[in-house]
Amino acid sequence: MKVQPHLTEPQGKIKKLLEVNDLRKYFPIQKGVFQRTIGYVKAVDGISFDVQRGETLGLVGESGCGKTTAGRCLLRLIPPTSGSFIFGEEEVDLAKLSHHEMRPYRRRIQMIFQDPHASLNPRMTVGDIVGEPMRVNQTEKGSALQDRIVELLESVGLRSQDMRRYPHAFSGGQRQRIGIARALALQPELIVADEPVSALDVSVQAQILNLLAELREKFHLSYIFIAHDLSVVEHISDRVAVMYLGKIVEISDAETLYQSPKHPYTEALISAVPLPDPSAQREREHIRLEGDVPDPSQPPTGCYFHPRCRYATDICKQETPELRQVASGVQVACHHSDTLELQGV
Amino acid sequence: MTSGKKTVNEKPLLEISGLKTVFPTDDGIVNAVNDVSFKIARGQTVGVVGESGCGKSITGLSLLQLVPSPGRIEAGDIQFYRNGEEDPLDIAQVSPKSELMRQIRGNEIAIIFQEPMTSLNPVYTVGNQIAEAIILHEQVDKKTARERAIEMIARVGIPAPTQRVDEYPHQLSGGMRQRVMIAMALCCSPTLLIADEPTTALDVTIQAQVLGLMQELQAEMGMAIMLITHDLGVIADLADEVVVMYAGRVVEKGTVDDIFYNPLHPYTQGLLKSIPTLGKTPQRILPSIPGTVPHPLTLPTGCSFQPRCSERMPECERMPELAEINGKTETDGHDVRCWLHTDF
Repeated sequence: MKVQPHLTEPQGKIKKLLEVNDLRKYFPIQKGVFQRTIGYVKAVDGISFDVQRGETLGLVGESGCGKTTAGRCLLRLIPPTSGSFIFGEEEVDLAKLSHHEMRPYRRRIQMIFQDPHASLNPRMTVGDIVGEPMRVNQTEKGSALQDRIVELLESVGLRSQDMRRYPHAFSGGQRQRIGIARALALQPELIVADEPVSALDVSVQAQILNLLAELREKFHLSYIFIAHDLSVVEHISDRVAVMYLGKIVEISDAETLYQSPKHPYTEALISAVPLPDPSAQREREHIRLEGDVPDPSQPPTGCYFHPRCRYATDICKQETPELRQVASGVQVACHHSDTLELQGV
Repeated sequence: MTSGKKTVNEKPLLEISGLKTVFPTDDGIVNAVNDVSFKIARGQTVGVVGESGCGKSITGLSLLQLVPSPGRIEAGDIQFYRNGEEDPLDIAQVSPKSELMRQIRGNEIAIIFQEPMTSLNPVYTVGNQIAEAIILHEQVDKKTARERAIEMIARVGIPAPTQRVDEYPHQLSGGMRQRVMIAMALCCSPTLLIADEPTTALDVTIQAQVLGLMQELQAEMGMAIMLITHDLGVIADLADEVVVMYAGRVVEKGTVDDIFYNPLHPYTQGLLKSIPTLGKTPQRILPSIPGTVPHPLTLPTGCSFQPRCSERMPECERMPELAEINGKTETDGHDVRCWLHTDF
């Protein structure tokens, strides 16, 4: 059982950092000379969740499920189609702010990217990269800026002399540390980490996961941790939201989700992960989903998962299930979640 | 799936010994594969596992004489027991461009790569590409080859094969493309399939489909598989024998149970501990291996793992041999390259 101090406190004391309501992002499909819109890809199709202060929320799903788009919408890197993001004690709706009004909030939400090779400018020194957010926002300058850069580099496990080197001189894991130092520069409250370890080797992946956990305690951060790897998400997250074709199908605390999933898709995802334990792997029942994730521009009727679901009945083909509370802290979007007995790990 | 299902006394399919593949660069010679030895038995799955740059892919390419220039096989031999022949053929001695090598490639030893989009030709239909391999290796006309291609497409579980045969790679999803690659690799019933990170680019549910398909086809067609991957879960799922590589060398090899339940090399132990495992009570801190993989041009003296190793001793300044664990006969076939388990 993980230590979750905020969950042991009485309900009223829980501090909500971010509340996302009905976030949608539709990308138009345009065709012809006049770029007429002939349809929409519903990349994110009405998702709602919240993030508590000091919490890590895992956002997991296969490629094309909308997890990255959701993360980018939160930072307003791409404009959401609709929805609201209530942020901080002020309860400001970030989705309604103008570009200019958004500025003070940008420093409070930062992002860590997947590819440490592509997300650092090769022509800037590490010191410039880490210092840039502070220069742009004019939070520090002169020797104070230099001191702050050294402090940041040391907090992510790099040395002060590294600030004069260029990104190419570093390995993948070290570059990811530089990206993390840059994200920390403005003392954010929330960090959206989009697949921060998937490009790294196994032994380095563990180092970065440990660093993220350590920084969370040290700087009282909250994370939205986007990843496709269920084991990594389980390791780092307090709560996990599973996405499929732009919708959240299940959201609950990490332990409950993995031990007793309530949605057939979660069950299949867990079953598909090969365990690094040969005899357990031989004895496990393997659920093999048929087919591929459907085209998000032409999603199936009813429950989006029904064509691949082994428990699907007539109602699943006709009615879209809503995400509803089935137990304390457990929400699931399935017509049959009350009757199904699904297997976890 | 059972491990060690093959008896030891029968002739292996492939026996690699002392293989060394080098890449001359401006800054020196990179020993990408250095003194690698292992066997693959008929019908068996051997997993080769390691981090990027450990030489696992180059080992696979060496078996087909496909090492990209300027790389070359410098030493060692690859004894391949061809069907119906008593004496093995040393692939290391065969010229990459020879007619003999062409006969082996795709026909007796086939390979599937990680990225199915870049390994399929975008301007030919998938049917064409599968038929090409059949026409090249067997004396059949186009019509028969096309029928065989359709049959193979159906066999790898692609729905509507008669329609799919005339489609182009971009019309297929990632999982479908990897199925096409498998169909192409298996259309000539090879005795060995080299699968280089076959599911790394795929989503987890599609990975499960493709791995399941490979297992089914192996049971049906009886080919041996050399499975190259960094994913220990995939290894645990499919492999009978496991070879662990680090910085170009084999550091440990044994049955899948040996490696997972009795790992002896500190690197193998570290690797197994550092992966978050689904369902295990999560620990706040993962035991990680400090440092990073050394640069191939500046390998440490002695054991390559020694600077990162928690069990380092003075002896580690010399390179240990890959050897049976001393004094233990019950661990037959479990070899480790570490002074902890070797006499000085």
